Amino acid sequence: MSNDIESRMRAALRPVAPREEFSQTLLARTLIETAARPKPRGFTAARLRPMAWWLTASLAASLVLAVGVHQHLEQQRLQQSGLEARREVLKALRVTSQKLNLAYEAVKSQSTSLDDEKSGV
Amino acid sequence: MSKYTLTLLIALLAPGLSWAATSPKLTIPSFAGLAQKASESVTITLDPAMLGMAARFLDSNDPQDAATKDVLKGLQGIYVRSYTFDRDSAYSQADIDAVRNQLSAPGWNRLVETRSRKSHADVDIYIMVDHDQAVGLAIIASEPRQFTIVNIVGAIDLDKLHKLEGQFGVPKLDIDSSKAAKPGQK
Repeated sequence: MSNDIESRMRAALRPVAPREEFSQTLLARTLIETAARPKPRGFTAARLRPMAWWLTASLAASLVLAVGVHQHLEQQRLQQSGLEARREVLKALRVTSQKLNLAYEAVKSQSTSLDDEKSGV
Repeated sequence: MSKYTLTLLIALLAPGLSWAATSPKLTIPSFAGLAQKASESVTITLDPAMLGMAARFLDSNDPQDAATKDVLKGLQGIYVRSYTFDRDSAYSQADIDAVRNQLSAPGWNRLVETRSRKSHADVDIYIMVDHDQAVGLAIIASEPRQFTIVNIVGAIDLDKLHKLEGQFGVPKLDIDSSKAAKPGQK
């Protein structure tokens, strides 16, 4: 009985050579699956060319923008300084004129007093 | 060179040297102590660069700005220090003497000296003249609660100053235009 089981197991587990068309079928299926699979994204020369152009263009644009903003801010600063200087000049002349006016009033009142004295008032 | 010759040379050159040393620009102290006591202080320092910048921002179409622009031509500097206090006699004359002493140097002439009992204000106006042209103006005004120092450096055209009458409240100084020094005139 055990010999019968053993022989049946051997018969079931004996190596069987594949059919001739097995390897061809397997190869064909492998090729199909490979073609269907999405290609990995790599840095090929074809990809690099347009990227480099965009990178250069964006860097140049950033530089131009930075220079433009700096010039604008500089001009604003100069304008503020100029307006401040103008205010200071007007204030200085106002103070000067006030003090000149003080002297003028004093001289005027002295002249009036002298005139009054001369006329015997 | 003998000692005698050297002494003679120095004696002859000294007046010229002292004249050359006198600058129309006064050395104004910082008045830091007074500034702290003052209720209001005005500190204005306008050098040639600032004056040039201000002139560019003055509107020639505005009469006041145009007159101001005209006055600024030839000026090298405007310096103002003014301090106002809450009580009388908060400052001493010694504080101002440091400036006043400079005005006794050769080259400065006192144009006006006023002492007013009515307003209790003393105003001294000094002018420095070089080749018949005013090159420096100094005003020292002391009132009970305020003192002001004004120093203007440069070619001051008294005629133009005269034309500022009515602007900024500049009074009629009764300056005779025909006698007023014009730039470049000897």
